[in-house]
Amino acid sequence: MKLSTILVNFAFHLEGSQKYKKIKLFFKNLLENDDYKYKKYFDYFMIFLILSSVAIIIEEVKTPINKWLYYYDVYFVTGVFLIEYLLRMWVYNDSRKIIIDEFENSIFLEKEFNTKKVLKEIIKKKIEYVTSPLAIIDLLAILPSYRELRILRVFVLFRVFKLLRYSQNITHFLQVLASKKLELFTLLLLVTFVVLISGISIYVFEEQQNPNISTLFDAFYWSLVTISTVGYGDITPETKEGRAITLIIILTGIGLISFATSIIVSAFNEKMDEVKENRILHNINKLNNFYIICGYTHMAELLANRLKREKKNFVILDLKKEKTERALSKGYLAITADATKKEAFKKIDFKRVKAVVTLTEKDMHNIFICLNVRSFSRDVFLISRTIDKNSYKKLKLAGADYLISPYETAGIFGAKIIEQPIAIEAINDILTAKKNALCDQVEVLKGSFLENRRVGEIDLGKYKLILLGVIRVKEGDFSTDLKREFFFNPPEDFKLKINDILIIMGYNISINNFKTLVTESSIKHARKKR
Amino acid sequence: MLEKKDKVLLFGYGKYGEQIAKQLLYNNYEVYIAEYDKKNLKRASIDGFEHIMVVDIENDDELTDILLDNGFRKIFCAFDNEEENIYLTITFKAIFKKIDIIAICESKETERKLKLAGANKVIDTMEAAANRIFFILEKQAVTEAIDHILFKDSSLAFKEIEIPQNSFLDGINIKDAKFKNRFDIIVIGIVDKELGNKFTFITKGVSHKLDAGDILVVIGKKESIDRFEKELKNSSKNYTH
Repeated sequence: MKLSTILVNFAFHLEGSQKYKKIKLFFKNLLENDDYKYKKYFDYFMIFLILSSVAIIIEEVKTPINKWLYYYDVYFVTGVFLIEYLLRMWVYNDSRKIIIDEFENSIFLEKEFNTKKVLKEIIKKKIEYVTSPLAIIDLLAILPSYRELRILRVFVLFRVFKLLRYSQNITHFLQVLASKKLELFTLLLLVTFVVLISGISIYVFEEQQNPNISTLFDAFYWSLVTISTVGYGDITPETKEGRAITLIIILTGIGLISFATSIIVSAFNEKMDEVKENRILHNINKLNNFYIICGYTHMAELLANRLKREKKNFVILDLKKEKTERALSKGYLAITADATKKEAFKKIDFKRVKAVVTLTEKDMHNIFICLNVRSFSRDVFLISRTIDKNSYKKLKLAGADYLISPYETAGIFGAKIIEQPIAIEAINDILTAKKNALCDQVEVLKGSFLENRRVGEIDLGKYKLILLGVIRVKEGDFSTDLKREFFFNPPEDFKLKINDILIIMGYNISINNFKTLVTESSIKHARKKR
Repeated sequence: MLEKKDKVLLFGYGKYGEQIAKQLLYNNYEVYIAEYDKKNLKRASIDGFEHIMVVDIENDDELTDILLDNGFRKIFCAFDNEEENIYLTITFKAIFKKIDIIAICESKETERKLKLAGANKVIDTMEAAANRIFFILEKQAVTEAIDHILFKDSSLAFKEIEIPQNSFLDGINIKDAKFKNRFDIIVIGIVDKELGNKFTFITKGVSHKLDAGDILVVIGKKESIDRFEKELKNSSKNYTH
């Protein structure tokens, strides 16, 4: 069999193997995916290995160490590092895909399969990995184990460098610097240039006169110390010419330092937003059962305040940066993104989203957002604000489960408030949870003292509560109200069943107390049965 | 056909005004609409409102005339623009002290200003809507129940009932009144004159002694409430005879 056929067969075999892909994905996540649950533990483990190994090597400089510690360091730690290095090389890219691509190309173009090109490509990719800065550090970190060569001990430093990998913040810092590669390189060139010029000139003028400057190296050393505004003062110019040069390079030095500062500061300014956003996304991915609020309008802000007060999780999305910044300054999670675009929700796991609320001030936007959300999740609960009556149907068609219009709410409230101002205010107090008066729902749990009781038997007055009514769920789900029946002020002989929902009114403490009693009685009952 | 209730003067037929006007009409009020925007006026007439007036809200004399000619006691300031509502409120309060003004606003800030200007009731529409969303998200069953009581079931009603002098409730402790058993109504709160003019929820646990002039807030079937009111009145009459 030819090498090419072996390669192609092998590649297809791997491509077809779910197990192989699963294993590779697992390692890829473990090594590279910050959002992966177990990466954290892997990172902690590696940090521990590095610190312990560095400690051992430092200890070893002065005193001979325990045989076991030596074995631990040389075989175990180095072994893990080596395995990690190889794993990283493995998951860096998918070589099988290169082979398959080339194979398909060759069939399509009716050419012969080019083994050489493929191998070259694979090696090129792997070399790309090997020469990346972090990989070099990894490799150098493996070296200190051969301590027979004393010089290799210096590489213990690289074990410390290796910590970089496991701390996200430092990686961000490096990324920020990398984004200003060109500027930093220019700066370096400039510094080299100035050091060369001033070093050579001071050498020319002072080599004979100044006992401290005897070699060109001294001159360069003096020059850099002066430029950097550090100025130890161990070497000072003694001739007039030397002083003149000093004057110039002191001024240049200040310029260069401010240049360096400005590069780094501006890099941070530009990158910080991105870093922050990544942080926020990271935090969002940790949440469970949260709401997404699209559009940080006034109404959204009020809703956010309420949700915050009730300790519910939510994320705010807005197109405008000022708005998200205002939300962030209040301590809310907020992302600047266009909720009508696919990118906005790409990183969000809709299984964890409890509901999406779109509250922008334009019906058109709300419709687009609804459609967009529906393209990600068919069944997430979706509430939308509407402004124009004509949009009702469109929003429903776009997938909104519930519509809310402040105008309609105002209309209904307005008409009732004329007739019954006090009653409406009371209801409003309940809805806004002012004065601690609340309306709440309590489910009749299995085995709780509510089950199969008659309403008359439960003295709600004793708990300082009022029973407004009972909602009986006939069967099935929560969202459709067709199957639910509301019994207002049920008579004394009304018998409660499992899954009935009591609508009660009362003060916060009374309600919480009652809810706890119901839950406890249900748990107790379940225990007894066992 | 039910008899017409009070006359209400509604300023503004924008997005808010329209909804409020329709709801008022639905609740049998005689609605008068005042507006300066021609487009809105046209819409109002298309929607079938009979009493439509063109006003210049900056002309005090004109406003005074409208009010005196028709004898309104209740005014609704429902322009979409908050500033206009504040301006109207303060104008009316400057001319007529006794008039009842209900105004719409979209923020706490304006609500405060409206109250300072003298509005008797202020509806913060955004807050109301935001809270409604919260309840839909977190407590669907409660939303459903309140909707049912307030809007869906027209046989149910909220009512404020003042206790007449010498009626059978006068002087009784609220705990002994047994509203549920006797009248099939729920009393949710009370404005107890002895404790000041503020509304208290009954569940606070304060034991109220009912007196004439106290206001009970009740929910119940309309006929139950009617029966309750009738008995209350009768008992008060019987005493005087």
